[in-house]
Amino acid sequence: MRVLVVLPMYGGSLPIGRYCAAALRELGHLVEVFEAPEFHASYKALKGLRVTTDRLQYLENSYLQVVSQAVLAKTETFEPDLLLAMAQAPLSVNALKRLRRDGVPTAMWFVEDYKLFTYWQAYAPHYDFFAVIQKGEFPDALRAVGVEHSLYLPLAALPDVHKPLELSSTERRIFGSDVSFMGAGYPNRRLAFRDVAARFDFKLWGTDWDGEALLAPFVQRGGARVSSEDCARIYNASKVNINLHSSIQADRLVSGGDFVNPRTFEIAACGAFQLVDRRSLMAELFAEDELATFDDASQLVPRIGHFLAHPNEREKLARKSRTRVLADHTYAARMTTLLNFIAAAKPGWPRDRAGTSAARMMADLPPELAGEIAALLERLGLPADAAFEDVVWSLRQRQGRLDGLDAAVLFLDEWRKLYARSTKKD
Amino acid sequence: MRQLVIQLARFGDLVQTRRLLRTLAAEGETHLCLDESLAPLARLLYPFAVMHPVTAHGTALAKLPPSEQAARLLGVNAPAFRELAAIGFDRVYNLNLSPLNYRVAALFDPGIVRGHVWDSGQEIVGQWSRLAMRWSAMRRIGVNIADFWAWHHPSPIPPAEVNPPAKGGGGGLGVVMAGRESRRSLPPRVLAGLVAGLLDVRPDLAAGGVTLLGGASEAPTAHRLLRELPPRRAARANNLCGTTDLPGLARAIETLDLLLTPDTGTMHLAAALGVPVLATFLSSAWCFETGPYGAGHRVLQAVTDCLPCLESAPCEVGVRCLTPFADATALTRYLATGAVSRLPEGLLDMESGFDALGLVFSPRAGEDRQRDLRGQLRKLLSRHLGAGGNWTDPVSRELVERLYLDRDWLVPDAESSASRSLRFVVDA
Repeated sequence: MRVLVVLPMYGGSLPIGRYCAAALRELGHLVEVFEAPEFHASYKALKGLRVTTDRLQYLENSYLQVVSQAVLAKTETFEPDLLLAMAQAPLSVNALKRLRRDGVPTAMWFVEDYKLFTYWQAYAPHYDFFAVIQKGEFPDALRAVGVEHSLYLPLAALPDVHKPLELSSTERRIFGSDVSFMGAGYPNRRLAFRDVAARFDFKLWGTDWDGEALLAPFVQRGGARVSSEDCARIYNASKVNINLHSSIQADRLVSGGDFVNPRTFEIAACGAFQLVDRRSLMAELFAEDELATFDDASQLVPRIGHFLAHPNEREKLARKSRTRVLADHTYAARMTTLLNFIAAAKPGWPRDRAGTSAARMMADLPPELAGEIAALLERLGLPADAAFEDVVWSLRQRQGRLDGLDAAVLFLDEWRKLYARSTKKD
Repeated sequence: MRQLVIQLARFGDLVQTRRLLRTLAAEGETHLCLDESLAPLARLLYPFAVMHPVTAHGTALAKLPPSEQAARLLGVNAPAFRELAAIGFDRVYNLNLSPLNYRVAALFDPGIVRGHVWDSGQEIVGQWSRLAMRWSAMRRIGVNIADFWAWHHPSPIPPAEVNPPAKGGGGGLGVVMAGRESRRSLPPRVLAGLVAGLLDVRPDLAAGGVTLLGGASEAPTAHRLLRELPPRRAARANNLCGTTDLPGLARAIETLDLLLTPDTGTMHLAAALGVPVLATFLSSAWCFETGPYGAGHRVLQAVTDCLPCLESAPCEVGVRCLTPFADATALTRYLATGAVSRLPEGLLDMESGFDALGLVFSPRAGEDRQRDLRGQLRKLLSRHLGAGGNWTDPVSRELVERLYLDRDWLVPDAESSASRSLRFVVDA
């Protein structure tokens, strides 16, 4: 099927959106990505204007409407079976209404804490399907605002990115340490890591660590954003990866919240060792012997000390957690769950496109040309029985100049639209 | 310079690409990508150009099963496209707003393509073409399409050098039966009246005989015309409908004294060969857009208020633009005397000529009510294209604001007026 993944302009759900797109491709779907991050620089430029606040708000709203319109235009052209938006995707309520009117199924994966990011109350009812990472009263709350179809969809890992790595000695020197933390400087983390930093070979990665004098010497790369690839290197190079879920409350360093963060799955998929704070939804995702956990900040230093002294225990836990993630917690598995949920709730979905089989259409080609077409399908990652329309769209996604065969296939498609409408459905 | 023109449209459009192609020929190696059916004619018209025929037109192919269509199109086009992609052009002129043209443009770096550009899956209309779309929305004004295409180039050859001046060759009168768009053509009875009248008032034409021209599908119309003509005229007529290929058509018309025709590919071919044209323009045909190119041609242009119309839309006023042609006696009396007062109402008698921009039509008789506005448009376009002029004499504000939109100056564009001027400087 065709899926349009709408990314946010920036933020934590951005890499997750990319992982979803990769997983959907891996499952054999035709995926188009709306690259909202490319619009972010212009949006930020508005903030540099130094104009009155009402002017700025007007400009920002206007710009976001344009971006929303861009998503609609992309939808019209691509005709997806599903539009999958990540949290903070730039889709206005008006745009969502338009999509519903046009019969385009929409889903959001809200990979945020609903108690902190409360705007879902406004837009959630305008999505057909709303996937969340929390349970408890959230499903009822969604139903109360008019969401008919919500589902619990915990986070996951992408094995192509989150994997064991052979690191060079230089990489080990850059990314390695006995103890590390990769993530943003939330208040609970700032307090919890003071002790850790004082006692161990410690590296702190990620953003928003400014103004924390005790931790400043341990912050890497000046607190710059770290790429997904470098995150994997850090996880692989650290003996103990601390994974402390964020909290804006500084009075309780281990919040004991519900959802399990992406880092839990990512570190595990890397085959790396992590020490993670226990979450209420963790038990249904991992067995007790698959993760090393802590319940209180006071346990952090002794547990780190223990695991540094027992590398075999670390390796055993890391192996088990990786096996579990690869079996149950990949983005491909999550996307399968989401698509199955939608299919169950929406009989007749996805609709039959009545497309033309590329293989049937190419049945009369001379052998050499047929071989080139087969190679083209392979190059595009499409199955041999792909619809001609999907071959065309995949070619349209290609950047830069096309070669002669690619252009000839696109030309054939347009020629058929011009001259052979009556024979299109074969 | 090695340059390519992508012209995938019909016979008439191929001929009207002449100004651009001859401009490019003066700069170096010129290539032409076109539908394979037009290649033989193109070789006659443009012997200097390297042809790249592809399968683009499809009326006959459309009847085949899809797999045979695919085999035919891919079999011909994939090797042709590979060859085009490998040549290494300095500039590509992609002339038609057509999805087929865009797909051919995908073979090239967007930076070298003028007109209609393909950039990583996105179709983009160049600035000059966008401007043309705006003036085309004011069709009563109009700019000749051959000039529009030619001015994708910063300095095309002068319009007078495109086609030879019209001059009869002693071969009598040629009559084109119909164009592709039937409403543009005179019905056989009306046409017969005009033909008979012309032969009466122009003995030189009568001496050379009458040649009927058209495709096989026009043969029945030709027979009806012959039945409508006076027997002595019909007896001397040579009916070639359906008997000539395009090169044969060129041979059949090259010695004519005059070609009587609606707006057709044959008309453009005659103009390219220097054969005098007397054209009947009605319905969607508008001489300011597609009149015969060159000096010495005439167009009888219908000017009812509803013109030029869209051929694809049904006429709800009974094709009233045909009325001025219907009284053959009155029309031939006018043609015989040239007396302005005798020109049938609803008609202009237009004569071709040139200005700095290209082809123009001026009234020999009748009032061209859009003449001033058309002059304003041509002034604006001349300035846009770098000709300058008297800047203290401004172009109509309304026209400027209709033709120049924010998008034109808000972001840089390779086809903007400034970039054109810059190219002049660089090229110098």
